[in-house]
Amino acid sequence: MNALVIAALLLVLLTFSYQVGWSRSRKLAGNKSQHLHSRPIYHGVLAALFAVLPAMVIIGIWALFSEQVTNSFIVAQLPPETAQLSQMQLQAAIARVKAIASGYGVVGEPSATEVVAAQVFASYQQISFLAVLAAAAAIGAGGLFWAQRRIGPRLRARTEVEIFVRIALMACSAVAIVTTLGIVLSLLSDALRFFSFINPLDFFFGTTWNPRFQSAGTGSAGEYGLLPLLWGTVMISIIAMLVAVPIGLMSAIYLSQYADERVRNVVKPIIEVLAGIPTIVYGFFALVTVGPFFAAAGDAVGIDINATSALTAGVVMGIMIIPFISSLSDDIIAQVPRAMRDGSLGLGATQSETIRNVLLPAALPGIVGAVLLAVSRAIGETMIVVLAAGNSPVLRFNPAEPTSTVTVSIVNQLTGDADFTSPQSLVAFALGLTLFAMTLLLNVMALYIVRKFREQYE
Amino acid sequence: MDMIAGKIKLTSKTVDQSMNPLDVLERETRLSARDVTVHYGDKQALFGISIDIPDRAVTSFIGPSGCGKSTFLRCINRMNDTIEGARVGGSIKLDGDDVYDPNLDVVELRARVGMVFQKPNPFPKSIYENVAYGPKIHGLARSRTDLDEIVVSSLRKAGLFEEVKDRLNEPGTSLSGGQQQRLCIARAIAVGPQVILMDEPCSALDPIATAIIEELIDELRENYTIVIVTHSMQQAARVSQKTAFFHLGKLIEEGVTEDIFTNPEHKQTQDYIMGRIG
Amino acid sequence: MTDTLLSAASPGSRNREQVRKGLRRRHRSEVLFRWAGILSIVAALGFVAILFGMILSKGMPSFWQSTLHLEAYFDPELIEGGPQPQREDSNSDADYQRAYSNWQRAVTLSNWNTVVETAIRAQVPEFEIETGDLLDLVTTAARFQLRDQYFANPDVLGQTMPVSILGSANTDNWLKGTIDRSQPDARQQLAPETRQLADQFLEQGIIRFDFAGHIFTNVDSRSAPASAGLAGAFMGSLYMMMVVIVLAVPIGVASAVYLEEFAPKNRWTDLIEVNINNLAAVPSIVFGLLGAAVFINYFGLPRSAPIVGGLVLTLMTLPTIIIATRSSLRAVPPSLRQAALGLGASRNQTVFHHVLPMTFPGILTATIIGVAQALGETAPLLLIGMSAFIANIPSSPMDSATALPVQIYLWQGNENRNFFEARTSAAIIVLLGLMLMLNAIAIFLRSRLEKRA
Ligand SMILES: Nc1ncnc2c1ncn2[C@@H]1O[C@H](COP(=O)(O)OP(=O)(O)O)[C@@H](O)[C@H]1O
Ligand SMILES: [Mg+2]
Repeated sequence: MNALVIAALLLVLLTFSYQVGWSRSRKLAGNKSQHLHSRPIYHGVLAALFAVLPAMVIIGIWALFSEQVTNSFIVAQLPPETAQLSQMQLQAAIARVKAIASGYGVVGEPSATEVVAAQVFASYQQISFLAVLAAAAAIGAGGLFWAQRRIGPRLRARTEVEIFVRIALMACSAVAIVTTLGIVLSLLSDALRFFSFINPLDFFFGTTWNPRFQSAGTGSAGEYGLLPLLWGTVMISIIAMLVAVPIGLMSAIYLSQYADERVRNVVKPIIEVLAGIPTIVYGFFALVTVGPFFAAAGDAVGIDINATSALTAGVVMGIMIIPFISSLSDDIIAQVPRAMRDGSLGLGATQSETIRNVLLPAALPGIVGAVLLAVSRAIGETMIVVLAAGNSPVLRFNPAEPTSTVTVSIVNQLTGDADFTSPQSLVAFALGLTLFAMTLLLNVMALYIVRKFREQYE
Repeated sequence: MDMIAGKIKLTSKTVDQSMNPLDVLERETRLSARDVTVHYGDKQALFGISIDIPDRAVTSFIGPSGCGKSTFLRCINRMNDTIEGARVGGSIKLDGDDVYDPNLDVVELRARVGMVFQKPNPFPKSIYENVAYGPKIHGLARSRTDLDEIVVSSLRKAGLFEEVKDRLNEPGTSLSGGQQQRLCIARAIAVGPQVILMDEPCSALDPIATAIIEELIDELRENYTIVIVTHSMQQAARVSQKTAFFHLGKLIEEGVTEDIFTNPEHKQTQDYIMGRIG
Repeated sequence: MTDTLLSAASPGSRNREQVRKGLRRRHRSEVLFRWAGILSIVAALGFVAILFGMILSKGMPSFWQSTLHLEAYFDPELIEGGPQPQREDSNSDADYQRAYSNWQRAVTLSNWNTVVETAIRAQVPEFEIETGDLLDLVTTAARFQLRDQYFANPDVLGQTMPVSILGSANTDNWLKGTIDRSQPDARQQLAPETRQLADQFLEQGIIRFDFAGHIFTNVDSRSAPASAGLAGAFMGSLYMMMVVIVLAVPIGVASAVYLEEFAPKNRWTDLIEVNINNLAAVPSIVFGLLGAAVFINYFGLPRSAPIVGGLVLTLMTLPTIIIATRSSLRAVPPSLRQAALGLGASRNQTVFHHVLPMTFPGILTATIIGVAQALGETAPLLLIGMSAFIANIPSSPMDSATALPVQIYLWQGNENRNFFEARTSAAIIVLLGLMLMLNAIAIFLRSRLEKRA
């Protein structure tokens, strides 16, 4: 209800001020001797901006603080003992008053003080709402008044509107920067808090991961050695790359160099379907199909393979990354000039000789960049490893055994009731920071290499 | 500047005097094309081209842009196979072997018919590796010294050796445009072809580099059958003994270069030579 | 020098021999290489096929669930609470609500299980089976099903009505054979009598596999897995996608326009550029950490709320939308801009009136790609508490909720593997179906828009 009234007020203000700006400048323009700098529409928009923006600021401030002010107002109306109540009871008392004031009523007979408080509160609510409305309207009117006084033939209304638009656009593009800053700062500050519990050396070089949860009762904070997790991450990424790079690269080569257009137009979108599948689906696939398959296959040949293992997670992650590698390599191979290929074919090289000796060496930097991007994706991948890696943070080198990764541990440490005070949950941020730093490094390197590669053939 | 001008003049003079034009007619035929047609998809690019190309001489194809010169050139070593949608009809014989015989191996054909492209296209490898590429893939060198020898002699024949002998390990792309084109010629020679096809080899080069290449072509003529596409009539006149004029996918006229330029039979040829067609 | 000239004088003959010798080997390796390519493609396509085959074969049966078709007697002896209270003028809203909820509580606390039991026994009066085992046949939510039917129409008190009651998850497993039927009694979830009854009912047509519409209309349930549904998760996802569309699209398009059309090329814009490219490659879980630390811990927004999930996904989707919009802006020919500028339009007018409208199909595609990506994202949502069990449909973005992919995560972890493997696959089918629909819409709109342009 209130929101509707406010929206209506703003809308009225908007149309009215626009109309004022528009018609005033129109009148000026009608006067033949005057030549307006900007079209009336811009004067209208400018006037509307001057009126609506300040009004919105007032309403915004009210929206931010009204809750607190209202609550302390109600508490002030109630007998002084109320203030001594616990947080929960206080909330309940406030809610009762609000319910009575709104006319909904409460179960049972309300106390006299409550009824009085509710009456006072109801009128307070009305008055404060009207006051805010009035303030917003007044400020809006003030803005409009000032804006319409400025209207004149030489007012550069269009320029001012465009400056405003440009500032708004710039602010939007700053969101990306703010996001990065937010990531870095939040990770850093919480990681530092973690390091106030645990020595960074023990974290980065420790070989045991055992964050005892406090509920286990022991006073000890647990051990937070990163290395088992890091090794799990690396091992799974290596397996993923062993699957994805050959298959992705060879598919890209075949589709771009051998396949005719019909085949290409059918196969390419199908492979790209793999890229659109959510990773949770891959995780489920790994858990339900691939893992048991490996375990059975291992049984058949007499090797002990765990259904949830680095192998399972790595292979499925590799499948997930195939389209990523193949579409990037496709782009990159397409950038190698055709003349290079013709030169080799013209000398009598076979197609595959040309690809291996000329095309791939020429595309190598770009492909390396693509693989680095893929690696960064692999180490940041979460759901597949949460479901299929076995969640066993022990330093082990056999890929057929369960393992754990940095991302898995982040999920484990932060999914429960995060309190942001114990090392058990704060360690997630130290892990996140490590992950962020690794992927950032890979991404920057990859983007740099790919960019250099592109420039080479431009 | 004077020196350069002198050099160009000198070159054209050498070329003109080096061979009696009528000799061309006595040379044996190395390549003979009969009724060659090419389609790109639905579009026909060549209409029944028949021509004989003499051994150890330079034959040039001239004609306005888009008339099918390159298309015909690519038929000779079957580079059109690599273009999606291109179909070739008719026959081309190289020393009596049908180039389009299904039993003939394109790889072997291309080892016999080398090609130099419009834009110099050295591989992103060292100068040495660029030249060694062909011999390596074809297994022409039995040993490292064999290979060294082939590379050096090819670079020599391409007149590039003296300029690059101290930097054989530098990338081929570090050379100037003219040097790169000669590197591509050396690369083609290294395979030991009988025929060398050149598609506007000088169009991306400055006049000095052009003059050097033209001189080189004239030298190579003694050992190779050379076919060159050019859009410059002066160049055709300077380097070739036989000239063919293409227009709109048809071969309008062919003959001894001198005749074509001084005494064309067809009006279209004349118009082109006088600069009245594109 | 003479030497080389001599050898060059007879090029070919010796070389041709050499070339011929190598041909067989070279063509063989060409064929091998080609086959390596074909095999890679077959492998990639095979993975797609296996993945979809597995999901579909496991998931589709789950949409048809064993349902008992019975006659239930709404016995006044059993159903307590009396008639439904009516609103009277003397009461306040609160009083009426209280009376109504007291009635509801009484009805709920009635012995509905006996109603269910009687209805089942009526079909097989002779069959000897203990009550507990009998009730194992149907979902534990059966009593709520009857109760809700009664709430919807209290007039049925004292009458016999046809009802359809979901079989329990274990019954479903048994009848579909998703549990090994040859296992000994000790390892079966259901008593022998219960299994026998289930088989008998199936034969008699009392149990039928009905389309399980409740997958779409029910919320998640732990006590009654058979009637667990996706409605809550769906609403959670819907709210999040709304937040993403409302925030990510305008902000993303605005930044793309600024960077591509207005920004001076300097260090600052270079930085933004690099930054956006990096942001696109930051692991999604890091955004989850950001959400937990900033939105929940710092700004005090509620845990498990779609608003927080939406904000996190917005930040995650932003780079996708910016990059895609920029590339479609880049595809607008410069001549168009010059023409507009030449006619005296200002830079703003050129961009907003001439350039931007042309990129509309591109922006639309980018939006849908971004939303589809956000729709399937799981990891960051786990960190902001959206994996909590929520048994309500959220009524606003501030309520606790879960999301489709998180629901999949929760279901795959359920102990009743035999039932939930299929149910999870069904949820995946729904999720993939939604994504497919989004993409189809994108392709359709795009072709429409491009035709018009
Ligand atoms: N790869 C190709 N695909 C389709 N058409 C082509 C291709 N290459 C050339 N053409 C067409 O064939 C005709 C002859 O081209 P080309 O042989 O390159 O001419 P020239 O070399 O004489 O300039 C032109 O009309 C051209 O458009
Ligand atoms: Mg050409």
